[in-house]
Amino acid sequence: MFRRKLQALDYPTTDGYQPDDESKFRELIVWLEDQKIRHYVVEQRTALRQTTSPTWRQALNKYLQDLELGGMVDTSTNSEISDVLLGMGIRYDYCDNVEKFSKASSDLVKAEQRQAPKIVAANPLDKLDFSSPDFISGVNTLADQLKVAKHANHLVTLEACAALVKTRYSKEAQKSGLHKQKTGNPFPFQEVDQSFDCGDYVLNHAAKILRLLFICDIRDLQTKINECIVAVQTVTANPKTDTRLGKVGF
Amino acid sequence: MVVRSYNDELQYLEKLSENSWRIKKGFQPNMNVEGIFYVNKQLEKLMFDELRNACRPGAVGGFLPGMKQIANVAALPGIVGRSVGLPDVHSGYGFAIGNMAAFDYDDPLSVVSPGGVGFDINCGVRLLRTNLFAKDVIPVKEELAQSLFDHIPVGVGSKGIIPMTAKDLEEALEMGMDWSLREGYIWAEDKEHCEEYGRMLQADPSKVSSRAKKRGLPQLGTLGAGNHYAEIQVVSEIYDVWAARKMGIEEKGQVCVMIHSGSRGFGHQVATDALLAMEKAMKRDNIETNDRQLACARIKSQEGQDYLKAMAAAANFAWVNRSSMTFLSRQAFSKQFNMSPDDLDMHVIYDVSHNIAKIEQHIVDGKQKTLLVHRKGSTRAFPPHHPLIPVDYQLTGQPVLIGGTMGTCSYVLTGTEQGMQETFGSTCHGAGRALSRAKSRRNLDFKDVLSKLQQQGISIRVASPKLVMEEAPESYKNVTDVVDTCHAAGISKKCIQLKPIAVIKG
Repeated sequence: MFRRKLQALDYPTTDGYQPDDESKFRELIVWLEDQKIRHYVVEQRTALRQTTSPTWRQALNKYLQDLELGGMVDTSTNSEISDVLLGMGIRYDYCDNVEKFSKASSDLVKAEQRQAPKIVAANPLDKLDFSSPDFISGVNTLADQLKVAKHANHLVTLEACAALVKTRYSKEAQKSGLHKQKTGNPFPFQEVDQSFDCGDYVLNHAAKILRLLFICDIRDLQTKINECIVAVQTVTANPKTDTRLGKVGF
Repeated sequence: MVVRSYNDELQYLEKLSENSWRIKKGFQPNMNVEGIFYVNKQLEKLMFDELRNACRPGAVGGFLPGMKQIANVAALPGIVGRSVGLPDVHSGYGFAIGNMAAFDYDDPLSVVSPGGVGFDINCGVRLLRTNLFAKDVIPVKEELAQSLFDHIPVGVGSKGIIPMTAKDLEEALEMGMDWSLREGYIWAEDKEHCEEYGRMLQADPSKVSSRAKKRGLPQLGTLGAGNHYAEIQVVSEIYDVWAARKMGIEEKGQVCVMIHSGSRGFGHQVATDALLAMEKAMKRDNIETNDRQLACARIKSQEGQDYLKAMAAAANFAWVNRSSMTFLSRQAFSKQFNMSPDDLDMHVIYDVSHNIAKIEQHIVDGKQKTLLVHRKGSTRAFPPHHPLIPVDYQLTGQPVLIGGTMGTCSYVLTGTEQGMQETFGSTCHGAGRALSRAKSRRNLDFKDVLSKLQQQGISIRVASPKLVMEEAPESYKNVTDVVDTCHAAGISKKCIQLKPIAVIKG
């Protein structure tokens, strides 16, 4: 009974409410006063909250009188009291959010349901104006803070920042220990690597850096291969020696 | 063979530069391409003396002089570019040791020759670094030498101490260093820093005779005899600081371990079996060579393909062999210093093969070609940015490990672009013999050789001391001459020099 009303009020157990079940009935009354009607201040609710007390019915009658419902309900019928008080709770709820509920027409609900999936997918970043001066200065500030060199195209700078954050500062990177700056020996590739000459210093420089990035990728791949081998080794490895088989030392 | 006087022979030789000589067509019959050899003043004298001795009337028997052998190889069908003699070249079976020759893989007449690989298939050198310095090691070098000797089985007929069944051997032949990895004898980084990543994929153990397998099984994980050794070395000179750093060598005095070994009796049997099969194939296919020892078969023939598959299995054997000794060396160091090999930073710097034939891509006359490159006593030396070298060495070029002779020094070189163009990315492999084994035995006394090493402060442990004079520095060319010639000719670049403080030999 009263499933819809209970649902509307977000009552914890909406199914199977039986007003004739005295304990459930008393729980509901206390809950309604505590959460929705709030006619009493907290101290005044004590008598009503003692749901196992033999004098609870008197407290209820007093409560109904205080709500000025004394003559209007049959105080001996639980279902009637439940109905009236639930209705009251709903009214208060409505009054608290008139605007929100008054808009709720069936058309609107339908429209909302149609829009719902779109809202989930909508990326708040889509609404950003990527070419606004604000955005550009934001990217530049970010780049300054991360010490990332700026590119003429601020979107490229942003990509570089993203790559850095991903490899150094993201949770995954922190977990895997990648965030630690790799230490190694510097290598004067500009002087040592004479393997090609495009005839232009800047072009040479760029091509050599490109090649370094490639080497970096390959190193990463090789490290993963090694990790894979080590993982398999933990299962298969069982090195043994037996000096009785051969003769060592003389 | 054409009989000419020494002066007539000289007509066919032309000095190209300070460090190289050209062998013109006609020096030996039917030469398809010219020959070239790299020398400096001292090595030049040795080469020409050898030729002069061979031209003396009545000189018979023994191997042909190195120059003649280079020219005979130039007469083999399908050879491209030039037949290259490296500074450590000396006479060997068929091909000279220190000779590289490339054959066009797509030419149906091209040949593969077991003599161009050698009997010790995938004989090679591996270098391990440590984070120890001479001052840590010299006080305990005797103990350390003994410890290495107690871990690594050495000597003629020695047997391995890593338990192997016939099934294990089959798998090892197919998988190479992947087998050692699977069984947990080595580290993943070892594979990364090894030529071919320690595994030739075309290996087929079913092409290997059961005789070879029987010989190989007990020998896996042994150093062997002859010129093979394990040495504890100290970095004595750094020529290229940047490249050395990439290899994890920071300063002079850093301690390394060098292992020089091959495929033992297994490779020898594979080569012997192939030579027999190829003699028949030569008759069938009418292949003519200048020298009986240059037995060969068309690459595409059954015999040729079978040999390449068996050779690859032998190469895998050698890598597993060196890997097993790496494992044992790490154990020896770990026990001596009471630290784990990891904490001692005992990483493999690189592992090279100097007796092998490989299928590679090269640019010949401006065109990309697939070649079968024979390197006998010659080390691959690929330049920076070559796709087949490990990522760590992309900027420096491939490390080339040159094992010296007992008691002298060893070198690490790096590959160069010039070497790629002139010698198909090949360079020298070691000192190269100057005296034959028999001659060394006659002329030297093993006690003198050992006491001389003692005086130099080198701890030595030898399984068969009476053969040690065969390996005495006097029996070899000077490795520094050899390396300096390669550096001066530009076919590889000097990086590090290492001096031994302890030697373990068969």
